[in-house]
Amino acid sequence: MLFFSFFKTLIDEQVIVELKNDMSVRGTLKSVDQFLNIKLDDVSVVDEVKYPHLSAVKNVFIRGSVVRYVHLPGAVVDTALLEDATRKEAASQASKMGGR
Amino acid sequence: MADTGADQLDDTIVSEPLDLVRLSLNERVFVKLKGDREIRGRLHAYDSHCNLVLSDVEETVYIMDDEDEDLKTIQKQSEMLFVRGDAVVLISPPTQS
Amino acid sequence: MENTDPSLLPSIIFTTAAQLVDCVDKKLLVVLRDGRKLIGILRSFDQYANLVLQETIERIIVESMYSDIQRGVYIVRGENVVLVGEIVSFTLFFGSVAFDLLLTYLNLKDPEKENSIPLREVSLDEIYAAQQDEIDNRRRRELTKNSKLIDIGFSIDTQQEDMY
Repeated sequence: MLFFSFFKTLIDEQVIVELKNDMSVRGTLKSVDQFLNIKLDDVSVVDEVKYPHLSAVKNVFIRGSVVRYVHLPGAVVDTALLEDATRKEAASQASKMGGR
Repeated sequence: MADTGADQLDDTIVSEPLDLVRLSLNERVFVKLKGDREIRGRLHAYDSHCNLVLSDVEETVYIMDDEDEDLKTIQKQSEMLFVRGDAVVLISPPTQS
Repeated sequence: MENTDPSLLPSIIFTTAAQLVDCVDKKLLVVLRDGRKLIGILRSFDQYANLVLQETIERIIVESMYSDIQRGVYIVRGENVVLVGEIVSFTLFFGSVAFDLLLTYLNLKDPEKENSIPLREVSLDEIYAAQQDEIDNRRRRELTKNSKLIDIGFSIDTQQEDMY
């Protein structure tokens, strides 16, 4: 659930979602769920010429499984906090495994 | 995994592959991805799916030139990047000196 | 979703259902993993993003040409969904004159987009031929690229599933 929680802290930030087909969608992160499906508002496609069908679309739901990257604004990420959360998550995973 | 696994919270113990990734937190790592892509960046987060967050990322992509069909690489920069784990092939820790 | 007060529905907010419930009964563009573009009214969905679309049309777009096929009711399996987009106003998208105007506007806004000539509707035969050309072309380029990658020591994942 680490990344789910992480994305929740990024709501209302401007992101660029790059899909596995190389298409990139820019927009405001509006919501995320446990599968890391993403909903963006006020979207624009980075290469509009190649993807004309999205010109008339205002918001998109992107299925998590087709995402390659999410480009994030660096300033809003507290990297030290993120590393701590990662270590905690790793430790809780390890204790679950140990308890088998 | 030993029955006396009480000291597993010790940060330096490596008992499974992802523990090596944990030791690379806040270090520059090399990540190879599906689809002829490689990235280098400072690792800030990972999970068991190999989802990652990296900063100061340099991505190398192999593309084929449109006209002469020559293979070349292009570099892309990103200040903060989330990488979905299903595309990750390998994560290489910083080289030890 | 105006009535989703966070204090009332703390656990529902961050679910697939919450993301798609806004889209119900609206005209949507759905892009599938095989590259198909469907336009239809969302009537139902579940947590996997399985979708039920009514009055669906499939729109084939090749470069600046497009053609529509009436498809009726579709049940789309979630794993094939790439994205679901709410269409601003379908007069913009369907009325080709308005759509032309929109693209002209985009042209004006960004001089680099001189290639984005308005979409023009063509016959099904024409679009199928153009689509086949595009597929053949992509296959050929992919094969060339793969053999060049193999030459420099890459191993190639032969699955070509992400065509959208």
